[in-house]
Formats: sequence, C-alpha cells, structure tokens
Amino acid sequence: MVFSDLFFLFVFLPAFAVSYLLGGWIDKLWSLKVSESRHSNITGTRNLVLIIFSLIFYAWGEPVYVFLMLLCVVLNYLSGLAIHYANGGARKLALAVGVAVNLLMLGTFKYLGFLVAQLEMFDIQLPVPQIALPIGISFYTFQSLSYLVDVYRGEAPVQKRFLNLLLYISMFPQLIAGPIVRYGTVAAEIGSRRVTAEDMAEGVYRFILGLGKKVILANQLSEISDQFLSGSLSDLTTTGAWVGIVAFTLQIYFDFSGYSDMAIGLGRCMGFHFNENFRHPYCCNSITDFWRRWHISLGSFFRDYVYIPLGGNRSHQAINILVVWFLTGMWHGASWNFILWGLYFGLIVMIEKYTLLKLKHVPTVILHVYSLFLIVIGWGIFYFDDFDRMTMFFQVLWGDAALLHDFVTESALLDNFWLWIVAAMLCMPIRSGVRSLVERCCRRHPAFANGLVMMGRTVLSLAILILSVALLVGATNNAFIYTRF
Amino acid sequence: MLNRIYIGLMVLVMVAMCAVFNLLPRSKVSELEKRDLTEFPAYSPQRLANGSFTSDVSAWYSDTEPYRDQLMMVSMYVKDIIRLNVGEANVTFHASKEPEVDAVAEQTGEVSLPEDYENHLTADENAKIANAGIIIVGSGENVRALMAYGGGAQGGLSFARAVNLYKERFPAARVYCMVIPIATDYYIPDKVKKRSQPQHPTIENIYAHLTGGVKPVDIYNVMGQHADEDIYLRTDHHWAPLGAYYAAKEFARVAGVTFRDLASYDRHVIRGYVGSMYGYSNDIAVKNAPEDFVYYTPRGIDYTTSYITYKLDKDFRIVSESGPTTGQYFHKFKDGSSNAYCTFMGGDSKITVVRTAVKNHRRLMIIKDSFGNALPGYMFYSFEEIHVIDFRYFAKNMVDYVNTNHITDILFACNIYNAYSLRAYDRYERFLTQSGAIQPPPPVIEKKKEQPTEMPAANVVEKSGVNEVVEPVQADTTGH
Repeated sequence: MVFSDLFFLFVFLPAFAVSYLLGGWIDKLWSLKVSESRHSNITGTRNLVLIIFSLIFYAWGEPVYVFLMLLCVVLNYLSGLAIHYANGGARKLALAVGVAVNLLMLGTFKYLGFLVAQLEMFDIQLPVPQIALPIGISFYTFQSLSYLVDVYRGEAPVQKRFLNLLLYISMFPQLIAGPIVRYGTVAAEIGSRRVTAEDMAEGVYRFILGLGKKVILANQLSEISDQFLSGSLSDLTTTGAWVGIVAFTLQIYFDFSGYSDMAIGLGRCMGFHFNENFRHPYCCNSITDFWRRWHISLGSFFRDYVYIPLGGNRSHQAINILVVWFLTGMWHGASWNFILWGLYFGLIVMIEKYTLLKLKHVPTVILHVYSLFLIVIGWGIFYFDDFDRMTMFFQVLWGDAALLHDFVTESALLDNFWLWIVAAMLCMPIRSGVRSLVERCCRRHPAFANGLVMMGRTVLSLAILILSVALLVGATNNAFIYTRF
Repeated sequence: MLNRIYIGLMVLVMVAMCAVFNLLPRSKVSELEKRDLTEFPAYSPQRLANGSFTSDVSAWYSDTEPYRDQLMMVSMYVKDIIRLNVGEANVTFHASKEPEVDAVAEQTGEVSLPEDYENHLTADENAKIANAGIIIVGSGENVRALMAYGGGAQGGLSFARAVNLYKERFPAARVYCMVIPIATDYYIPDKVKKRSQPQHPTIENIYAHLTGGVKPVDIYNVMGQHADEDIYLRTDHHWAPLGAYYAAKEFARVAGVTFRDLASYDRHVIRGYVGSMYGYSNDIAVKNAPEDFVYYTPRGIDYTTSYITYKLDKDFRIVSESGPTTGQYFHKFKDGSSNAYCTFMGGDSKITVVRTAVKNHRRLMIIKDSFGNALPGYMFYSFEEIHVIDFRYFAKNMVDYVNTNHITDILFACNIYNAYSLRAYDRYERFLTQSGAIQPPPPVIEKKKEQPTEMPAANVVEKSGVNEVVEPVQADTTGH
C-alpha cells in the first residue's frame, strides 16, 4: 500500500485513526488507574494498534515477506539484548553478529542476484537466483543497524520489550520508503508521548502537502519524463532529452520529499518527531551542500556509521569518501548505474573539497547553476540502469541526435506550462517566505497574521485534498520511486 | 485555538469524503470511457500470497469510486488548466518538416512513399498529444481528435485473403472490398505527421492482393476530395454520415446500381454531440467542442427493417439471439446524446435485413464494423434487400445464410484498423464453417490487467504489430 492510494486514504487511514484514538482513550484510563497522576503517560494500547496496522500495511504489499521483516526484528531484538548484557569482547562480537545478520539479509535479498551475475566477469558461471526485492528492506535493515550501533555506543537505551522494537522498525509511516529514523530519535517517544493541537495541525498539514507534491506534481511530471526517457531513444531529440531529464529531476524530488512529508506528518499526528529528510536541495550552492539537503537521513547515516568510524577526515579521507559514496550509490539498487552515480558524486565532493569550497566571492548564481547542472546530469546516470541506453541518452543530450528539436518538446513545455512554473517555484523555500512576509506586513497584529496564515493553510489544504483525490481516480502511474530501493 | 479549528475542519472534510467514498453505491460503468469498471477481485489463497489479491482490491477501490466520471472530469480540467493557452496567432511552431521526414527515412532505411492526399486544411494547425497517443488538433470550437495509425505498407493481407476466400466460395456473387480510412490522414497537422503512419500504403496493399474478380471500392481519394466538408466527426472515432454518403456513392458506381443524391434525402441534425474521443483522449478540449451530428434518411420510399438481435455478456460474447423483429432502421436521438452514432440500426450486435421496393434482383450483404453502419441507409434505392452483418457478432452459418437469402452482392466494409487485423482471415473463415448454433461462451481465463482505456487502435498496432482491434461497442452497453 502506498500513501497516495485512495484505499489508503479512505479505508486504511480512517480505520487506523479511529482505532488509534480508541487506543489513546484506553491508555488514558489506564494511566489514571495506575497512578492518579495526570503526568503518567502509558502508550501500550496505542502502540499495539500502531503495530497491528503497520503489519497489515506491510502485508498488503508483501504478504509473504512480512515474515522476513518479523524475523529481522526478532534477530535484532536478541542482538540488542546481547550487546546490552555482554561485556568486553563478547559485546563487540554481539554487535558484529547483529550487524552481519542485517547485512546478510539485505545482501541476500537485494544484491545476491547482482553479485552472482558479476562473477561472470571472472568466468564463473552460476545460475543467477531470481529473488524479488522485499519492499522497504533497505530502509528497515538500516534502521535496525542504527539501533544496534546506538545501543553499542550507549547513545540509546536497549529496548527490552519486543513489541516496542517491533514498533520502531515496522512503524508504517516510515516503513517502506523512509526517512531512515534513528532509534535515538524516537526511543523516548515510543514509551511516552503526547500530541498537542499544534502537533496535530502541523502533522495534518504536512501530510496534505506531501500528498499534493506526489499526486499533483510528481505524477504529472512523471508523464513527461516517461514520454521522453522511457521509450525508444532513437527518435529522442536533444531538447527532448533535456526536458525529459529536467522533468525527472523535479519528479524525483517531489516524489521522495512528498513521501517524507507524509511520513513526517503522520508521525507528528501520533506524537513522533522524525528528523527532516529534505531541506530544499535544489537551492544548494555546491554538490557538498546538495547532499546535506537531499535524503538527509541516508547521508547522516553513512556519515555517522561509516565515514566517521573509518577515520573521517582525520585519516585517509579520500578513501573514506569513496567508500561512503560507493555504498550510497549501491544502497539505491543492485545495478552498476547506481554505483556509478554514487562515485560520480563522491568524486565531485572530493574535488570540491580542494577547490570550490576554498574559493571565496564566487557569485551565488554561478554556484547554483553549476550545482544544478551536475545534479541533473547525475539523474541521467541514475535513471538508466541499462548502460547502452544511458550512453545513447548522453549522446543525444550532448547534441548527437537525429534531430535537435521538434514539436514534441515544445508541446511538453507549453501543455504543462503552469506545472513547470509551480514545480520550479516549490523547489524554493517559498512557504517560509510567504509566512515571514505576512508576519512582517502585520507586525502590529500578530493574531491577525496568524489567522491569515491559518486561513491560507485551510484553503490550500482543501484544494490539495480535492485535487489529489480527483487526480487519483483512474491514475495508473502512482508508485513511489523510492519504494523500489 | 486556530489549530483546533483547522483540525476540526480537516476532520470534517475527511469524514465527509469517507462517507461519500465508502457508503454511496460504487460506480459500475464509466460513461466517459465507455467501459465496465473493475469488479471486486476473486479471492484465493494463492492470489493472497502473491499479493495480487490485495493490489486488485486497491485497484478496484480506485476504479469504482462513487462519482468517478465526475472526478475524472475535474482532473481533466486540471490538466487543461496547467497548460499555457496560446492562441494560434501568438505562437508559431517552427517544426522543421522537411528534414524531419528525411531524417526518419534515413534512420529506418525506409523510403517514404508518395502520398496521394495532401492535407491543405489543417496542415498548419496547432496540435498536442493527449492520452493514448490521440492527437488533438486546433483549439476552441473546432478541436478535432485524431487517432494515430501505426500500420505499415505490408499489412492487411489477412483481410485481403478473407475477401478472396468469399469470392472463391460464392463465385456467383459479386464481392467488393472497401477499406475505410480513418480521419487522421486528411486532417493531421504537419508538425505531428510523424505520429501516425499514412494509411494509403496499407489500403493499396490490400487492394493489390485481391484476386478472382473481387472489386475494390477505393474511397481514399474520394474522401480526400471532400475533406473540406464534414465527412468525419471531430469528436468521435467514426466518420460522419456525410462521409459514408460519398463512400456509398462510389460503391454504387463500382456495383453498377442506381444511386440517388442527397436531394432525395431528408436532413436531420442532432446538436451538441460529443463522441468517444473525449473519453479516450481524456482531454477536456474535446468535450468543449461539441458538433452537429447530421444524418440523412431516404425520402418517400417504402422499406421494412427487421432485426435478429444478439444478447452479449460483459465480455461482448454472444449469449443468445432473439428475433427477427421488425423495427426502425433510423433511431432518433436527442440533442446532446453521446450515442448519436447508434442512429443507424441502434448499434452493432445484430443482423439487420432491409427489404425495399426496388425490383432489380440484386440482394446486398454488407459485412462491416461500426464504420459500415452508416452505409446501408444510402442503398435503399439500389438493392431489393440489404443484409447488414457485423463481423464481430454473427453466429449463423454463412454458406447457408448466403444461399437461403439469395445474396448477389457481398460488400466488405471495415475501417483500416480492422482491415489490418492479423486475425481477419480466421474470423471470416469461421463464419463459413460454424454450425449456426450458439455455443455457450467458454469461461473467461483470468485476464491480464487492462489498460484503463480500451482504445487499442493506435497503441496496439503501433506497439506490438499485432492488431486485434476491439471496437468500442456503442449502443447496447451504454443504453439510450
């Protein structure tokens, strides 16, 4: 199931909301009974409801692999306990075993087929196993890893209750396409959390914004990118290639950040505070900066669990950077183009370290253009997992095409004119801009400003909701890109 | 406080939407797309285990929303709003026509064939590509929707062989072959010409392979000569009755029968007609450009019409037949009816017999698709009897039928998609051998997920080279 599915919106979500509220009510009665104090905050029933719905959510798409996920939680639960109770060498061993189990699981289900296929290079012929990728495995194994390492480092308490760990790993808002929520971020909130009216309002608004990003923007943009990039490339024109890849650049941002918005919003409605996953990445002024703004939860994961343990910028930094970027690329999929894509950015980041980042007084415009150009090229590598097609695409992109330009490109630009404008504008921090503008204009009347902002919000929310539902009826291209990883 | 108001409002809206989407009866038929909607999936443990059950439930839920057609219309409006509305005057496309053709020809190694028809009417029109590759030409009230044709110069042999076979089996009868071009060649703007293959090479190829005295009724250029008149519907995939008139005239010439010109007919107009291309293209511009559906009925002559009607199941397979019953040949539709093309005989799934006052010992059988429906009405002055048979719905034995009814002339009249079909021969050949009894239809083998629009024409031919074309059934499923 995905968030932008009518069945999710009008069957699953309402059923969950009602059950969760009921759970909250039971929790409240229970709390009062236990302690008489208004401050005690039991979450047991709510958590149980959340777990049950999360398992249904996952099983809806993966009726068999849901057991694999459960197995993963059991193993991590045991590893966590072992790390907690063991001492010295045994502690290290427990961590090593736990990490190995997760990597093995990820390796088997995501990379085995790819690795076996690569053995052909060394003249070893083995039957390539055909294993379907379980949805979200890259996300939940990484969350498990963060749990084990945080417990090992003493940065987070061990989870002694199995159900709580199950909740952390299976929680449906972030289960299948991130963000990769660190255990430390939500550890406390699993056991005790409150939802204020502000949490709720922010959460709902965030969810609706995410829905709009996905359904109104990403889905329409995907029609454009598919039109140019998914078919035969032999009659692709150069301008068509550029329009197609720019459409994909916008599509993947709105698709993925929309999903993150929905996840963060849903979490917030339940009292969880996930970290941000995107901060207007296309407003970056270098590639280094881009990666601090794009898929932040993945970047910081590799920073904290790979780059720094390897020695960070203190010892053999170049190798560390390459390893991290190799892994970043590889994480996206078992295909050489993702690895190439990762290394491409690794190389740029490394070069920037010694050049661009040392320069001062470079006009911002140039920095933006430079970064966006490299990012768009990067998505070209990312898009094509077939090397022949990728080569052909880049040939066309650089002008080696039968035709430089034809009517189809103009049609794609003009027929979607406002879509392009709105999408480009929403890549910029326009929301906070509007807000501060309103506040500045009504400095004397903060209450009026708040009212105005909330009115804008309400109108926008309603418009997005209605439009999204209309666009989802009969929609066919609705899968999130990142559920593939 | 403001937060609470916002939450309250959103909850209210969600509750209302949930009530609408879960409590109201679900949609079953889409008038817009002219198809039955997805049914609730069958459950089996295997289908649950491989995930297809749950994903089908989601698909069913989304496809059968209450008010789905209205919601789809909203989404079409949205898709229309996001484009920049540029009038013809403001923008000129500099599509470089000549090099384009050369480049394509060079690349594929094909020589571009000479075309007889040159579009001078809408060559410079604006155009865009809508859903299912449908080309939307022009703007405002003159919008015209065109289907892309993907057939090549070598296609159509199966149809030619079928026609030849009939001539062989019925040597005494005159057999004619009319391939009806779709509107695209006549109205396609230059800048999108690449999107559709020219139809003339296929048509020529079919006529070149007719043997044994089968007479071609070549209407490609006839239509071209009248392309500045309303011979094709702008908003429907069919031709207009006027186009059929010129085709019928050419047929009468080839067949050597009398033919009356339009002065002998009464003209009728159904206003505000929007045809099938709206649902196929999902483009609101088509809906916003309704047209007049003009048809002609012969004046002052006696004729009787009788029907044998086939009952169909939801997969358009024949379940039973009833009749013959006498009825009207021309059905009257109200202004604004999207079913106006069913004026002729009320649809496809029947055998129609018209008996006229003519005494010339000529009895015509037309084996046709829905394009052919518009032809028989111009033949009432020309033949004693006219038997109209749809090639999709005929359960009798053809040999018996032709002999019993003393058919003297057999006209095959199909649009180019159906003439291109690889299965044409098998189909027509089966009519000659089938027993005439209606077999209970075999159970449906689980179908692959269907495309949301059943508009195979352009796509199917284009993509797979296989070209089974299911024409959207007009009357009987949608009701009048």
